[in-house]
Amino acid sequence: MSASVALASVQLRDPVFISDLHLAQEQPRTVQRFVRLVEELGSKDRELVILGDLFEYWAGDEEAGEGVGAVVSGALRSLTRGGTSVYVMHGNRDVLLGDGFARATGAVFLADPCRTELAGVATLLSHGVAYCTLDTAYQAFRRRARDPFWQRMFLGRSLALRRTIISQVRRLSEAGKKQMAAQIMDVTPEAIEQALRSAGVRRMIHGHTHRPDRHRIDLDGHSAERWVLPDWDLDVDPPRGGYLQVSGDELAMIDFS
Amino acid sequence: MPTVRLNTTMGSIILELDRQRAPRTVENFLNYARSGHYNNTLFHRVINGFMIQGGGFEPGMRQKPTSKPIENEATNGLKNVKYTIAMARTSDPHSATAQFFINVADNDFLNHSAPNAQNWGYCVFGHVTAGTDVVDRIKGVATMRYGTHQDVPDQEVVIEAAEVVSE
Repeated sequence: MSASVALASVQLRDPVFISDLHLAQEQPRTVQRFVRLVEELGSKDRELVILGDLFEYWAGDEEAGEGVGAVVSGALRSLTRGGTSVYVMHGNRDVLLGDGFARATGAVFLADPCRTELAGVATLLSHGVAYCTLDTAYQAFRRRARDPFWQRMFLGRSLALRRTIISQVRRLSEAGKKQMAAQIMDVTPEAIEQALRSAGVRRMIHGHTHRPDRHRIDLDGHSAERWVLPDWDLDVDPPRGGYLQVSGDELAMIDFS
Repeated sequence: MPTVRLNTTMGSIILELDRQRAPRTVENFLNYARSGHYNNTLFHRVINGFMIQGGGFEPGMRQKPTSKPIENEATNGLKNVKYTIAMARTSDPHSATAQFFINVADNDFLNHSAPNAQNWGYCVFGHVTAGTDVVDRIKGVATMRYGTHQDVPDQEVVIEAAEVVSE
């Protein structure tokens, strides 16, 4: 219910893909770099496609009027006002981005997964968490967080209470991650192949795992590929971050660090 | 159409159930009613502007054992409009057992829109034909947090009996 419309397919021209910025008050340099990227895109008229976890957390669309939420929303708003399209997919942390955020920014939501065509190749866009099928505890949480009944109950609470609940969940999740095998937190190759096969596409672009790479896949005797977007953190040393840029027939990973 | 009366501590609610559109769900609800499961259970989750939920806890917030979960019939076209009754469940679409809720607003976002977990919807299987004033009084009660449960009425709202008035 929080986001009423999301595109299942989208036409893109020369997009830039980012994900996993985890923007928050505690990451001022990362926020700054994001705002700069947005300004650069505006001058080049390149579409911005955000494949999840733009924010570290999102307790509801009131966030668009406060602090980092307001800074980021304002930047996106000027981009869309200038005529550049912004597409946003939900991640696992900002699953509550809703219609209020879309109105504040002029952004359009993408369903997960979402189909597009890039450089003549049918492509699937996803945040990526859905393919981390070994993380069963998280998948259960994800189902609940996306459930309309649960969302209605949660969004009915005060913003203060929602933030408290979210910070509790985040603490538990951080503690859990330290004990979880790396394999569980990565995508399951079979789940990716199944998704490519059933969508009839040969390329996937996703984020979530923080393992930027270009994987070549043999899909039933055909070549396919999977691009994994980098996460951003410019408030650590060394800083890291980047994006995937499509220019005509060429896909290129641009690294800040 | 089967009719069930919920005698609550705040008055009686008469429900007419739609056996044609939701045969399995109605049979399931009637089975719980006939067996006396709903007698002495609470409306334990009350959210004004959304819904009132009950049928799973005894006074003191003790959860009652249930039968097996049922198939979700939310594809039947019945809508979650004000004063309809629907099955409560977890985020697994096919997990409803005994708990139900009465919508106190038009909750379109709970309707079936696609055959996947997120959009399966919540199955409506009847509506309130008398006692909407009782529903309105229940939705307005003060609520509190009780253990891990939010939105629990300060003063318990008890379903003293659920009677099958006609089959």
